Amino acid sequence: MDKNRRGFLGSVGRVTIGATASVAGLSASEDAQAARQPVKGAEGKHWGMVVDLRKCIGCQACTVACVMENDVPEDAFRTHVSVYEVVKDRRDPAMVMLPRLCNHCDNPPCVPVCPVEATFKVEGSGEVLVDADRCVGCAYCVQACPYDARFINHETQTADKCTFCFHRTQAGLLPACVETCVGGARNFGDLDDPESEVSQMLAKHEVSVLRPEMHTNPNVYYIGLDDVLNGRVAGEAAYRPPLTTEAQGHAGEDA
Amino acid sequence: MTKRRDILKGAAAAGGLASFAVGYAPTLGKIAKGHWSGDKPERNITGNAPEPEYSIDPETGELKLNPDQALSYTMCIGCTTMCGVRVKVDKKNNQVLRVAGNPYSPLSTDPFLPYDTPLRESYRAMAQAGAKDGLQFRSTACGRGNAVLQQLTNPRRVLQPLKRVGPRGSGKWQTISFEQLVEEVVEGGDLFGEGRVAGLREIRDLQTPIDPEAPELGPRANRLAMLSSVNDGRDVLPIRWLKQAFGSTNYARHGSYCGGSYRSGSGAMFGDHKAMPHAKPDFHEAEFILFVGTAPGNAGNPFKRIGTLIAHARSDGNQKYVVVDPVLNNAQSGPSGDSSRWVPIKPGTDGALAMAMMNWMFSHDRINFHYLTNPSATAAQAAGESSWSNATHLVIVDEDHPRSGRFLRASDMGLAIDGEAYGDGDPYMVAGKGGPAPVGDIAAPLFYEGQVETLNGTVQVKTALTLLREEALSKTLEEYSTDCGIPVSKLVWLADEFTSHGRKAAVSSHGGMMSGSGFYNAYSLMMLNTLIGNLNCKGGTLYAGGWFPDNKGPAYNLASFPGAVKPKGFPLGRNVPYEKSSEFKAKKAAGKPYPADGPWYPNAPGLATEWFSSIVNGYPYGLEALILRNANPVYGIPGMAHLVDKLKDPSVLPLIISIDPFINESSAIADYIVPDSVMYESWGFAKPWNGVPTKVTTARWPVVEPRMARNAEGVPIDVDMFLIATAKRMGLPGFGDEAIADADGAMHPLNRPEDWYLRGAVNVATQGTPVSDASDDDLAVSGVARIRPQLEAVLKPDEWRKAATVFAKGGRYEDMDQSYKGDSARHTFDKPMLVYNENIGSFRRATNGKRMPGTPAWLPAEFADGTPVSEVYPESEWPLRVISFKSPLQNSYSVGAKALLRIMATNPVILGKDVAEAEGLATGDRVRLSTPGGSLESVVVVREGVAPGTVAIEHGFGHRSFGAADITIDEETWVADERLGSGVCQNDLGMLDPTRDKAGVWVDPVSGAAVRQGLPARLEKIA
Repeated sequence: MDKNRRGFLGSVGRVTIGATASVAGLSASEDAQAARQPVKGAEGKHWGMVVDLRKCIGCQACTVACVMENDVPEDAFRTHVSVYEVVKDRRDPAMVMLPRLCNHCDNPPCVPVCPVEATFKVEGSGEVLVDADRCVGCAYCVQACPYDARFINHETQTADKCTFCFHRTQAGLLPACVETCVGGARNFGDLDDPESEVSQMLAKHEVSVLRPEMHTNPNVYYIGLDDVLNGRVAGEAAYRPPLTTEAQGHAGEDA
Repeated sequence: MTKRRDILKGAAAAGGLASFAVGYAPTLGKIAKGHWSGDKPERNITGNAPEPEYSIDPETGELKLNPDQALSYTMCIGCTTMCGVRVKVDKKNNQVLRVAGNPYSPLSTDPFLPYDTPLRESYRAMAQAGAKDGLQFRSTACGRGNAVLQQLTNPRRVLQPLKRVGPRGSGKWQTISFEQLVEEVVEGGDLFGEGRVAGLREIRDLQTPIDPEAPELGPRANRLAMLSSVNDGRDVLPIRWLKQAFGSTNYARHGSYCGGSYRSGSGAMFGDHKAMPHAKPDFHEAEFILFVGTAPGNAGNPFKRIGTLIAHARSDGNQKYVVVDPVLNNAQSGPSGDSSRWVPIKPGTDGALAMAMMNWMFSHDRINFHYLTNPSATAAQAAGESSWSNATHLVIVDEDHPRSGRFLRASDMGLAIDGEAYGDGDPYMVAGKGGPAPVGDIAAPLFYEGQVETLNGTVQVKTALTLLREEALSKTLEEYSTDCGIPVSKLVWLADEFTSHGRKAAVSSHGGMMSGSGFYNAYSLMMLNTLIGNLNCKGGTLYAGGWFPDNKGPAYNLASFPGAVKPKGFPLGRNVPYEKSSEFKAKKAAGKPYPADGPWYPNAPGLATEWFSSIVNGYPYGLEALILRNANPVYGIPGMAHLVDKLKDPSVLPLIISIDPFINESSAIADYIVPDSVMYESWGFAKPWNGVPTKVTTARWPVVEPRMARNAEGVPIDVDMFLIATAKRMGLPGFGDEAIADADGAMHPLNRPEDWYLRGAVNVATQGTPVSDASDDDLAVSGVARIRPQLEAVLKPDEWRKAATVFAKGGRYEDMDQSYKGDSARHTFDKPMLVYNENIGSFRRATNGKRMPGTPAWLPAEFADGTPVSEVYPESEWPLRVISFKSPLQNSYSVGAKALLRIMATNPVILGKDVAEAEGLATGDRVRLSTPGGSLESVVVVREGVAPGTVAIEHGFGHRSFGAADITIDEETWVADERLGSGVCQNDLGMLDPTRDKAGVWVDPVSGAAVRQGLPARLEKIA
């Protein structure tokens, strides 16, 4: 496999784990911790996702599976599929479904801004995670993320985001969004293994990443990403009309 | 340089939120966190995510199950596809945690695992250790499928039998015991202080006619009807109860307000207007598919399977497809380039498209003559064809001939026949050199018209294909183009493309056919498949592979029983020939047989939509009791609002019993609500509607303990227990201690649901080569150990482990390598494709005495008496056309699954730029949208991908029940949640047919199915 592909965007090399990201020796206030989990990365893996946009049918199975798997609070998503209608000159309008999630960047802008070293990158396997015991909910990371992939969980008051289903991949399973992807758009595996499905997809197809100008070296790749969507991580908000209280339909006269 | 003008919009469809989070908390002042400022999650890294269901050691590959969880293969019923799924259960809390697909099931997986794959291997297949890093046998649940497990714990479930307090629809209920429920509905009495109500025992009168003057209507027992939403795998028992035990003929499902016109149009070509067979494209092998009125991957059935296969086909495969739809939806994929295209069409004009394509095909010799020329199965076989048609058969076309519109038969010619005239032994005739000849095993002329001498004189005949060609050429491409709004160049392109792939092309349709021209539109679209001869062909259209039935099997006879009743009499929906009625005879005697007092549908199946016209008018008869099984006609039938007040009147319909886990818009006006199980709490066996070429039986079993209250014997109260208990109280045959015969004739009991479903499982397991026995490890791994006591108690020692295998693997699935035999499907449809359907071509509309074409045709919509809709509601006053479209997420009963509303909170009305410009509208404006049937107010979203003059509404919103209104049970009030009533329901715009004297909603004149596509409309901006 073209090992450089992941660095094809250029200048910024892969970031290895620095002091900020080290989890060893972290200690939060003793009496108030959630159950502490070991965060040793999967042996010899470097996780990545290849999203084939040609295969996304916009069914939101990933969105819901993530909500169910990760108990994502009511007003937020760790992943979802943005749906766009794209009109190009002299072309018919076309639908583009864009699955979005944390890009688990090799150069994650969210990590250095954390004042308490709560957000870190797992050595080797590469997930960008948040230690909720340490997080103080300052939301610097939320602002730093160029992909709008983080939020403050209003229940825990800590930063929250996709973990690539760390608890599942550790057990040899696939992330919930990948397991349930109806069109087969989301593909997950070891980018360091040239035989893996994702590596082979990267070798075979032209791929792009979101917001390449940010030099984040993401580990989420897209097949079939139109230039017009490259910077559209936020998108224009679909109109969400206010809820109304009165019943809105009524039977009219029989003509 | 060309100037690029790219527009990008967050579509009105799901997603497109501004950011992942709706907002975040203030950023400062939290650094000195001594303890949690919020709720502490269970774990510091992965929060509240539960432990994985199993783990696989990366070194040894060893599968280790999570002892706190059960992982069970069962069936989703989040929609009508009824996929095989894998459910993860928290055993201690009796809670379903999450759902994924069943890798044995073709409805969830492609390719799917061979059936003999051990269970542990099936888990490994879906993990990183599986083929292609676990991606090869990835097995899925869709967005809705992932969410609907929330319905199990929906706080608005009905768990106790309810009886209304106050008038119907008051929203006030009292809980009653199961025993009181059974007693009251069976025995009747002054149940509500409003006077005496006849109980089921009294209504079950198999002797007394409904009307002595019209004995054809049948006995009083027909005055009980049961409306079932869909066969969710539990339809056999209710049918046994209603038809074979109670003796009523009136059982129907929701098809006549769902996709009935499509099924009827297809049924006309397949020659069966009751079962209405249909075929689906071979999504694996087709090179070109034209979807009209169905949106692959956006909605439809089998939803996921089609989504998976077209996603593959348009990317890695070499398939191209076109979606013809008034609205651009998720069925099209921009990143796939020209492999998927969208063509807008005026609502309800699909027949003009299909007939235009036929016109071009006839004019350019792009018909498969080699295929069509075979007049019989034997001729087709000799010619190497895998199906055949009646294109060459001769039709009597003399208007005045008593058999006008019928096929010429050997008996008409005075030839010797087997059996009765016009029976199976009376051959059809084809053109021959020396005059008409009986069909043989050689090719026959496709086109012929002329006069033939019959026993009763000279008659004019034409071949079926001649009639179809005349119909197709009766309008020019330009005229068809004007009617459907598709440019001639595109019509030609579609016809050319469709006929450029041999048999590896297909036309597919479904629910979008529910317009006033729906039947003929569907018949016309389906006929395109026959004109290229693609049925049963690899890459063409395939018939469903079938299943391993639960009711008919080698072990137990669940299909019949001693003392079974054969129901008699006319069905409530008037889906029989009017000419057989006493009304016709009386009117004929009076010299004016037509019009009848209302429409009749001799070429339609049971019609629940028409039931409600019958009920409120007592024509041809009314009902004394109606049982709704998970059905919601009040929400689902367009225009029903106009009939609801009468339905709520107990003097019109004295007893309404709803069996449903929730209080929907229809149970809201019921007298009693019987609780029912939800999804993973219930039993059932289902087969795919279509789209799978191999045999599939998906099994459902209670993988969690049902939440409903118990009866006195401790059995959970659901539809099955209600039917068993009422049958036993009435002493109906087929229920009780001696109800089910085994292969040796020994009788077995039917006293509780498992008596039925476990024996059904044995039938599934033992057909053909029986499945292997489930081991103790299989029982443990699959969670079937939970029902082991029932399996052992009900079944014989040599049976129960086979039944256990069916549950452990979530059903029984024929292997994928059984899909084809050479270039043909292995499971084929063997009867002829009807280019001309003589039942259609010879019946008279009861409302005006006129005939209709026996071939496909483009017929603009008419009301019942034949008046064009455009005459009653001219475009000058009603310039717009409203359509309904299916949501990828929400259906008519899923609104309570909270995860769905957080993705798509409501359904704004969608319209295109032309309407927006004409009315001065922008996204976010509010409008009042009106049809002759009703009006609603909504915000609008302006989109690019909408056909001119079209307004579109996503289905599944605008509820008034399911928690959208206050409900008081005993002293407790469930306060309404406005989110559950968000948005609008397009059926509120549905119309009565203004030409019907007896009130009835607008329906298609042949299929009798409701009309919701292409309603005439106008809108105005409101402040």
